[in-house]
Amino acid sequence: MKQMFESYSQMIFQLVRRLHFSPVCQAAESSLLAKLRKKTGYTIANCKKALEMHNNDSDKAEAWLNEQAQAMGWAKATKLAGRTALQGLVAVKFTKDHGALVELNCETDFVAKNEKFHKMIEDATIACFKFAHTNLQSKGPVTKMELDSEQLANLNVEGKKLSEVLALFIGSVGENAVLRRAECWKANSKDIKIAGYTHPAPAVPGEYSAGKYGALLAYKQSGETEDIGRQICQHIVGCAPNKIGVKEKDKPAKNSDDETCLIFQEYLLDPSYTVEEVLQQHNAEVIDYVRFSCGEIVETNMPGVEKQPLDTVQTLQ
Amino acid sequence: MATISFAKSLVNPALKLVLKQSHCSHLRCSGLPTVTPLSIVLRRNYAEKQVFERTKPHCNVGTIGHVDHGKTTLTAAITKVLADQNLAQKKGYSDIDNAPEEKARGITINVAHVEYQTEQRHYGHTDCPGHADYIKNMITGTAQMDGAILVVAATDGVMPQTREHLILAKQIGIQHVVVFINKVDAADEEMVELVEMEIRELMSEMGYDGDKIPVIKGSALCALEGKSPEIGADAISKLLQEVDSFIPTPVRELDKPFLMPVESVHSIPGRGTVVTGRLHRGVLKKGTECEIVGHGKVMKTTVTGVEMFHKTLEEAQAGDQLGALVRAIKREQIKRGMVMAKPGTVKAHDNIEAAVYILSKEEGGRSKPFTSFIQLQMFSMTWDCASQVTIPDKEMVMPGEDAKLQLKLVKPMVCETGQRFTLRLGDMTLGTGVITKINNNLSEEDRIKIMEGKKAREKAAAKK
Repeated sequence: MKQMFESYSQMIFQLVRRLHFSPVCQAAESSLLAKLRKKTGYTIANCKKALEMHNNDSDKAEAWLNEQAQAMGWAKATKLAGRTALQGLVAVKFTKDHGALVELNCETDFVAKNEKFHKMIEDATIACFKFAHTNLQSKGPVTKMELDSEQLANLNVEGKKLSEVLALFIGSVGENAVLRRAECWKANSKDIKIAGYTHPAPAVPGEYSAGKYGALLAYKQSGETEDIGRQICQHIVGCAPNKIGVKEKDKPAKNSDDETCLIFQEYLLDPSYTVEEVLQQHNAEVIDYVRFSCGEIVETNMPGVEKQPLDTVQTLQ
Repeated sequence: MATISFAKSLVNPALKLVLKQSHCSHLRCSGLPTVTPLSIVLRRNYAEKQVFERTKPHCNVGTIGHVDHGKTTLTAAITKVLADQNLAQKKGYSDIDNAPEEKARGITINVAHVEYQTEQRHYGHTDCPGHADYIKNMITGTAQMDGAILVVAATDGVMPQTREHLILAKQIGIQHVVVFINKVDAADEEMVELVEMEIRELMSEMGYDGDKIPVIKGSALCALEGKSPEIGADAISKLLQEVDSFIPTPVRELDKPFLMPVESVHSIPGRGTVVTGRLHRGVLKKGTECEIVGHGKVMKTTVTGVEMFHKTLEEAQAGDQLGALVRAIKREQIKRGMVMAKPGTVKAHDNIEAAVYILSKEEGGRSKPFTSFIQLQMFSMTWDCASQVTIPDKEMVMPGEDAKLQLKLVKPMVCETGQRFTLRLGDMTLGTGVITKINNNLSEEDRIKIMEGKKAREKAAAKK
């Protein structure tokens, strides 16, 4: 309430001050405004305010804007916080022994296509990837760490908290955005490999990619056979199994289209084989996997989720 | 029983009076014991439905823009301003904002359809919520836009995602965009000027004629609240004028060259061969030259008679179900799936590109994605044909997703850009699409290749 009052009083103050501008300086001012806006990309209203506060000194105004951006971002973020954000992207970054999977949501998919959004999620993914290197203790074959939006917000990237970067982003696009969840993985032994995949996949497979769906896979593969981590990961993204399945315990479903056990599913890239057969052919074994589909988490379910502190580590077995 | 008949006798004189004017059904009223003349009159009005009068050309427009820049407010304002001139029904903000229960169920059709008319034209107005949603609607044909209104708030100016909005407009083939700078009541003149400059610049960059695009400045909120008419109601009127003049009226199906997909063929002794089907577009008259194309054949002939419901017809119009008597062609020469059209207007093709929406499982599609080289049955007009699918941009297509596909047909069939079709696999509908581009026909070699299985493809790849 007090904040609102302050902002109103400021607005009135500026309104009064505007009356004192002589028409002579209008033209110069306009081009200054255009330049400042072009240079900084902040909203026109803010650029104008900055110029007015610093007597049309564009350098000072710019400095002030940059200073204010964070605060404005926070203000905007707080204002928009309640709005549903279910669009967005899932990004994955992985090497042989580390992997990170991150979901970032926004309100419309127009924003998700914007390069600023891509930069934002890449930053977040890199932060998680780094986190997987440093903060995970080694226990079991794969160390897994689930992060929720609060924990994600506390991660650092280039000396800044992710929450700060996110607020800046929200300030710039004017839409709500949420760092939804992340998964950080570390393989603890040499023969376990990590692979990642997102859909749509980039033309050239690399360590980092982003899309509507994503998955991380930990697997063992021995011998000289062709590496199938990526393909299995693609299958998981595509066919969304519920669990890996144990051959002795689980039974294949009657209709192969309804199969939810990974090992019994028809292999996406060649439906004449099951995944299990493909794994056998390639001497491979799936240790664990995780799959994100963008926007699959309903927001109302979120607050009730129990949070684990950052240093607890979830391990297999 | 006695009371009912008593009531009847009471009511009947009044009833007759009303019936004279209204032709209202007698049955409905007579069963009720205590109907007064007043309630009968009310009932009559209640049952009456407004008739859509087709007096003006129709045009579909939509609003695009940032979530907070006032698209819905603008739509509400348009209906209000026009309602004041008796040209539309006023819609409130909540009527236009998408139905919440639809959202909750996750089947976001997400298109608010609003209708209004100006002095010149009748409009269907769509709100465009998201890229994927809109592309889906465009492909399945539930919504289309002949032109768009881009809404930008003067306070914020062009946003990073405005570029994405225009990319969508380009992608769905919108050639004509009118810009509305909203919220000018919260900004001053130079800010508005700057916003206009930025928009023109961005539009030029996106391949529109940025200098000639109409830009109208106003405040939808003022119009809605009936305040300061120069930026309120007047600005909305001006916007509608620009929409009237800048967005051209789409060509009606009736004015296009005629085309009729062949549904069945009959041989009538003594008269000749009759081709039946629904006239897809244009007008068909007796004595018109025509071409029958499809299944790898092209035949030229003349329509010697047009019949509908066993009655001869001077002229059949698009939408009519008709039979056409054709000269000097045997029944065996024509097959279902061929197309009868004005000579030279259609051609058979077997190599096409299309925008396709793949149904999600909830919509009746498959739960699994598919990859390149899948064989699907393509249904369009009255024909169906096996086709090999390649996905140029992705490695697979997930259910509930749209994609660009390349389709290679086993035999050439009548295809043209904008034609809609359905893809099926076995007994399941996989998706629906619209043809976006026609490529050169397949060579004999290519045709053999699409018949080959996976093993042969792998072999060929290994050889290279």
